[in-house]
Amino acid sequence: MDLKNRASNNKGIAYALMITSVVLVLMMIAGLTMLLNQGKVINISPLLFYKIMTLHGTGMIGIASLGGVAILWYFLSKYIYLNSKIFFANLTFSLIGVVMILIAIFGFNFSDAWTFLYPLPSFSAKLNGKTGALLFLFGLLILGVGYLVVYFYLAARLIKEYGGLGKALGWDQIFRGKKGYGPPSAAVASAMVVIANSVGILAGATAIVESIINIIDPNITFDPLAAKNLTYAFGHIFANCTIYMAVIAVYEVLAEYTGRPWKSNKVFLIAWNFSTLFTLMIYTHHLLMDYAVPEWMLILGQIFSYANGLPVMVVTAYGALMIVHKSNIKWDFASSMFFLSMFGWVAGAVPAIIDATIVVNHVMHNTKWVPGHFHTYMGMGVIAMIFGFMYYFNKTEGTQKQNEFDKYAIFTYFVFFVGLVGSFLYAGKISVPRRWAVHFPEWTGTDQFGALCAVFIIIAAIIFTVRFFKGLSTVGKQSTPKSYKSAS
Amino acid sequence: MYQTIAWYATLFFVFLISLAFSFVFGESKRLKDYAPIQEKGYKIRKYYFLCLVAILGLSAAISLTKLPYHSQTAEAASNLKIVNVTGQQFSWNLSQDTFTVGDSVEFRVTSKDVTHGFGIYDPNMKIIGQVQAMPEYTNTEYVTFKKAGTYKILCLEYCSTGHHLMVKDIIVKPKGGK
Ligand code: HEM
Ligand SMILES: [Cu+2]
Repeated sequence: MDLKNRASNNKGIAYALMITSVVLVLMMIAGLTMLLNQGKVINISPLLFYKIMTLHGTGMIGIASLGGVAILWYFLSKYIYLNSKIFFANLTFSLIGVVMILIAIFGFNFSDAWTFLYPLPSFSAKLNGKTGALLFLFGLLILGVGYLVVYFYLAARLIKEYGGLGKALGWDQIFRGKKGYGPPSAAVASAMVVIANSVGILAGATAIVESIINIIDPNITFDPLAAKNLTYAFGHIFANCTIYMAVIAVYEVLAEYTGRPWKSNKVFLIAWNFSTLFTLMIYTHHLLMDYAVPEWMLILGQIFSYANGLPVMVVTAYGALMIVHKSNIKWDFASSMFFLSMFGWVAGAVPAIIDATIVVNHVMHNTKWVPGHFHTYMGMGVIAMIFGFMYYFNKTEGTQKQNEFDKYAIFTYFVFFVGLVGSFLYAGKISVPRRWAVHFPEWTGTDQFGALCAVFIIIAAIIFTVRFFKGLSTVGKQSTPKSYKSAS
Repeated sequence: MYQTIAWYATLFFVFLISLAFSFVFGESKRLKDYAPIQEKGYKIRKYYFLCLVAILGLSAAISLTKLPYHSQTAEAASNLKIVNVTGQQFSWNLSQDTFTVGDSVEFRVTSKDVTHGFGIYDPNMKIIGQVQAMPEYTNTEYVTFKKAGTYKILCLEYCSTGHHLMVKDIIVKPKGGK
């Protein structure tokens, strides 16, 4: 039974990774299309641009989360029993949600972006009809329900196994002076994500329901600033949790490759507790230009956004450097990706922290600086972790081997991703606004440079994806018969 | 100015980070016992942590003294021009759009429909300030026009398919000029 569940878990994870890799490549092509249009190399209608933008944003955050959950599921299920049905339930909810969102965008011209601000969808509904807006909103809601099912289940499992979410976060070690290490890092990270993302999704669901109600009956209105708080509580937490899930792979695999333990000591546990707290608090740095928000909240937004950089810079990334230092580690696809992903994460934190400075935000908020920083930690952080995990999964569950090309593909991916995010950040420096379909002539140079980099990133991503699918074909052959035999 | 600081600070710190990663990568082929590495690593980490806290604390302390939420200069308070701004899909409506160099203006910004972003660009197309234009709320933005020429208002919050059309010129005439 257990082994059957494991095989079934692996199947679910393989499906999730397949979807992730293919959608990723498609969304990257969507990203390239946007850059080509902004750089005036091609010419698409603004409506189509904003539809693609909505697709790219929703799709990328969606797959980063799906890939993250796959990583979490894979490693956590080594320590505690996880029922594969729940994973498949999430996959099903996601698929239904995605189909609805695709129909909304391409069938009904929905183009309000993945973090729309109330009452925008209601105004669009007046223009384009209610169907598109409602399909998109309900689609998002169903996606959210899928993740809530996962997180509530994980919460229940963690509580059962460790005696509470607090204990899973190592409160015994931190507060009650319990000696020794806390729960495995996979459990600590899972507890953090369960707490933060459940809150985030519930906030997002509230904002979505407000919009739905307002569309159905425009006489019922809500406060736009309160709705914006909810929207960004959701957007910020959900996007950030992708990396807190994916990093589990880094902890597990670097420890395995170096033969050095990466245990949850007290500093580690304290860092994760602060990450939990800060991730929940600092979404207010998205509202620094809403002067109606009480000033103390915005000042706290800046200070805690600064502080939020500390756990990753001082504990997680530093820990990765320490564990690799003079370890004679074997550099293969997985370990290289994980090492570089830590660089991407920390490098992305720098422009993020700078932008959370109120005086800087005053002149850089909603410029390309913002996509600049999150493409750094998502593209070179989360996505690199997910690619690394894909290889690790094939290698561990199947027989995939490193080949000569992999090295060059990894090199290409990172060098050109640095170029892409550099072009975004530079565009932010020269005041190019984000989310503009049509750019002024003095801005197009940055777009064209970015587009050039994107071409090479996409080539590398296609190589990764093809390699992943080839490797995946070895997975069924090696491990499934083995587990069935011992199961009977 | 802040854009330049942000850019170079990012380059500088990312460079430092890449040095650290390159160093560890370079040493990764060697093999040493983990225990002494850990011991030394934890010691270094203490200083590294204090260093970071100092840098972040100092940056916060300095930057928080110049918040854009209030009129910054005392003289601005005396002859402040008040201008009402309303954003709507997809245009800006200003109660006054011609000024003279040296004018200090308090923009009172709101929106008729959805949320927009009121971003002011100077004649070199550099953002000098912004504030959200949200329905039911009025946010104030203080600007002193220092250069003659054409300033522009651009929408900085996505507001549907005509978002990039929300551009409006503001003319600032030289002092005593025609
Ligand atoms: C080849 C790689 C990529 C390219 C060329 C690309 C390009 C773009 C472009 C041009 C934009 C719009 C910028 C603007 O506001 O003007 C954008 C937005 C965005 N991208 Fe990417 N991107 C890439 C990879 C990624 C990855 C890997 C992720 C996350 C996993 C991601 C997530 C997002 C998100 C969330 C947005 C915001 C959408 C919005 O503003 O509504 N992108 N991207
Ligand atoms: Cu707009």
